[in-house]
Amino acid sequence: MSRRSNGENSQRATWNAWVVSFLSLTGLASGAMAAAAITSAHAATSSQVVSMRRLTQQEYRNSIADIFGKEIEVRGAFEPTIRIGGLQAASTSVLSVTPVGFESFTNMADSIAIQVTGEKYRAKLPCAPNASREPDDGCTAQILSHYGRMLFRRPLTQEEIASAVNLSRGLAKSQNDFYAGLRYGMASLLQAPNFIFRMEAAVPVGDKQWTLDPYSRATRLSYLMWDSTPDEELVQAAEKGELNTAAGLEKQVDRLMASPRLDIGMRTFFNDMLELDTFDTVSKDSILYPKWSSGIAASAKEETLRTTIDLALHENGDMRDLMTTRKTFLNRSLAADYQIPFPFKGEWMPYEFPADSGRSGVLTQASMLAMFSHPGRSSPTKRGVAVMDIFLCEPTPNPPNNVDFSIVNDTSGRLKTVRERLMAHATTSTCASCHNHSDPIGLSLEGFDTIGQRRITENGQLIDLSASLQGKKFVDAQGLGQFLHDNPKYTACLARKVYAYSRGENSEDVPASAFKAAYNSFADSGFRMRSLLKSMVEDKDYFSAPAPETASPASKVPAQ
Amino acid sequence: MKIDRRFLLRGTCQGALAVMGLPFLDCFLDSKGEALAATGRPLPTRFNTFFFGLGLTSQLWIPKIAGKDYEMTPQLKPLEAFRSKLNVFSGLRVPLDDNPNYMHWSGAAAAATGISPTREKEFDSKTIDQQIADVISRGARFKTVSAAAAGDSKHSYSSLGGANAIPAEPSPLSLYTRLFGRGFQDPTKGDWKPDPQVMIQQSVLSAVADNRKQVMQNLGTADRARMDQYFTSVREAELQMEAELQRPEIQAKVAIPDAPAEMVCNNALPNLRNVTPLMARLGALALATDQTRVFNLSVSEPPSGIFMPGDSLSYHQTTHEEPIDQALGYQPRVAQYNLDVMELFATLLKELDSIPEGDGTVLDHSLVFAFTDQSYARIHAVDGLPILVAGGASGRMKTGYHIAGDGSPVSRVGLTLLKAMGVPLDVWGKGSMQVRQPYTDLLT
Repeated sequence: MSRRSNGENSQRATWNAWVVSFLSLTGLASGAMAAAAITSAHAATSSQVVSMRRLTQQEYRNSIADIFGKEIEVRGAFEPTIRIGGLQAASTSVLSVTPVGFESFTNMADSIAIQVTGEKYRAKLPCAPNASREPDDGCTAQILSHYGRMLFRRPLTQEEIASAVNLSRGLAKSQNDFYAGLRYGMASLLQAPNFIFRMEAAVPVGDKQWTLDPYSRATRLSYLMWDSTPDEELVQAAEKGELNTAAGLEKQVDRLMASPRLDIGMRTFFNDMLELDTFDTVSKDSILYPKWSSGIAASAKEETLRTTIDLALHENGDMRDLMTTRKTFLNRSLAADYQIPFPFKGEWMPYEFPADSGRSGVLTQASMLAMFSHPGRSSPTKRGVAVMDIFLCEPTPNPPNNVDFSIVNDTSGRLKTVRERLMAHATTSTCASCHNHSDPIGLSLEGFDTIGQRRITENGQLIDLSASLQGKKFVDAQGLGQFLHDNPKYTACLARKVYAYSRGENSEDVPASAFKAAYNSFADSGFRMRSLLKSMVEDKDYFSAPAPETASPASKVPAQ
Repeated sequence: MKIDRRFLLRGTCQGALAVMGLPFLDCFLDSKGEALAATGRPLPTRFNTFFFGLGLTSQLWIPKIAGKDYEMTPQLKPLEAFRSKLNVFSGLRVPLDDNPNYMHWSGAAAAATGISPTREKEFDSKTIDQQIADVISRGARFKTVSAAAAGDSKHSYSSLGGANAIPAEPSPLSLYTRLFGRGFQDPTKGDWKPDPQVMIQQSVLSAVADNRKQVMQNLGTADRARMDQYFTSVREAELQMEAELQRPEIQAKVAIPDAPAEMVCNNALPNLRNVTPLMARLGALALATDQTRVFNLSVSEPPSGIFMPGDSLSYHQTTHEEPIDQALGYQPRVAQYNLDVMELFATLLKELDSIPEGDGTVLDHSLVFAFTDQSYARIHAVDGLPILVAGGASGRMKTGYHIAGDGSPVSRVGLTLLKAMGVPLDVWGKGSMQVRQPYTDLLT
């Protein structure tokens, strides 16, 4: 008891008074409002949920680590996401929780609650019960509202606290154990939709105009910048209404961006944008490419993230250089894949490919080259489609249904290289429109095989790396890199993807006007990532939301 | 005290308040202290799906003879041992009406829902296994269980509709853990007893479910549907707990093995040959011990990424890029992959048929629906989709027939399966695939 301050004791007394009045069946009558200063005004306002995003695996893990500490283990499977408009983030606004997914959430919730109420952790809780073998509603309410506020990213409503306290009391009583009861109250919050989904609520600011409420602003900023739940300072800024003023917002944005945790947020974004998650299920032909292993795959993914974050945040570099830089980071297994000696003692070493290496930015890293290939051979089409999609925001339409691709495969015939074989069907008019769209890109990358190793010939024939795209001629990967570097479509695509990612929208549906101001600042800064982020989230319309479709649908909810 | 209503109900045990500290176990034991006796209900009929991408080669799988005396064609050969328990459907139509032919999707979606899909990679309704599960799964621990032998949980063709596919277990170990890990009590052992922890977890779920109305009240239409799905999932977890408090009635003599080791699960055919039979075995055991009544197994995605190490072309590429052998009249390498996949299918039938229970085997008390996305993958054709159905559905389905080319829509097979599984409905599918006539000759 001694570790509690007087302030905490008086708060505790308030809780006790409130809980008693609530539980003596005065229900939600005025007596319960004593603690209204602590609970949320959220439900009382005219706020409406305008977007609901299922937490991703990484968001969930980071949030739990920030709320309860890194020592809490999170073990379980997460439902897969899908990619919409080039981003998994967009699918979190569409997907729900299937029974299999919920089963996993409920198990994880209980496992986390067990750890948090376990003996090792108890000293961290904001209060201790009067007697450990009995319920203590005041302490329970204090603990659950403390963590609940972080889990739900807003203060809990009185009903929410009462529901969890009720549950805890009943079970504490039946098991003669305060902490056993607390465990279940905690678990109920951990599997509640308000934790599993990021609810974005908006309030009306004009006739048809709505804007995100302060807590939703804090949440959106925090998951974008840190890939995690808002910290105490950010929640307090929301509570005080500071995020609704330009100065208050800027102060928090600057703080979030000054933190090294920005690395984590941006890694998650680039992982999504560069589709590096698909790497987890890439398999390579172990007979043709015995060198390839799951270790190389993981390293290649890390290489690309390190290169990108180093350029974007550590060097505050020009994001166009992502297409051309020869600087990278290697570990031992990657060095082997690239056929480079690894004289370094540590795990990762910075490395710069020589000018004659043919390498050009992330385009020629093992990750991108291997991901968009077949198990046993490179695929100019896959690579071309991926580059168009990822870096230029130009998705390639599906091929027509009844195409005969047979000629492409006849390696024993007169057509020796992939280029010749591709050209054979790209001359057919139905195929040509799309192949002319994406193949040149892929063909210029043919100097690298399916696991990203450099090569000069294919089936004994010198590989022709020349390409012509959108009226520009170039040769090889470095030519492609320069083409993209100089192409404003690439930087606009990057801005579009960040915007869509942070709002959980389909990038294809985002009008260019939505991120125009941000893009201008991005360009003015010489394409610095930080400029893009800052100007985007500080734009006056960034937190605006469409008016919800229904004004007051509460009465239409059917009872289950 | 309204908020506590469900909580108290859940906590009630034979009229006594469990929350008051009564020993939980007493109410589950009869007077002799043994677990409650079986009620003598008949064995449930189970449903399985087997998904394989890229179809078969029509010259090699369609028997020339229709009816009872059909011959085992080259690509049906791996299924020969189950000939009398198999129905082969050829010549089925897949009319897509005004929707595009989404390559590697429309055919699979049509087979699984009877509806030509309006969006790529989404089902326009619940898939057939989910529709059947709604009717037959009450009382089993898991409403459905899905597994993906190629190691990707997205290889699931079991869906609640839209983009909400049920994630598949991506390895034998994860499948085992879900089925026989936490929460499993072995009904083949004599010391089965309900776990009091389950009742407590039920009250937690009740508390979560009680917030439904409050959570739902300020959502737009689309988000409300998503939230409704969330609460349906909560409800299913409650039902799972309810099932865990009852000793499953089983007749099979099986032993639950130890957990399998971690295995490499990917598209390489040699790995699939190790993983598929193991997953099939675990699925069969889950059915035999009534952990689930619906088991879905896939060996690939529709544009199958299966490959044979050493061959630089994968299965999917091969279907598009291998020339037709002029002498044979088909793509020989593709035909080999087709056969490889039928061998994988045979392992599922083998495992189901190797567990005796009651008057037959688990296969005899099941239906197995094997379907695919294309009839002729080379050109993405869907008409003539190969469909294979195995198992007698506890005597409700006649087997050993080749139902040949009568031009019926593929949904007619689905309707027949739904009828055999006891789903009360008269019409299934939409548009040109809406059907009212099952294959009545096959139903008993």
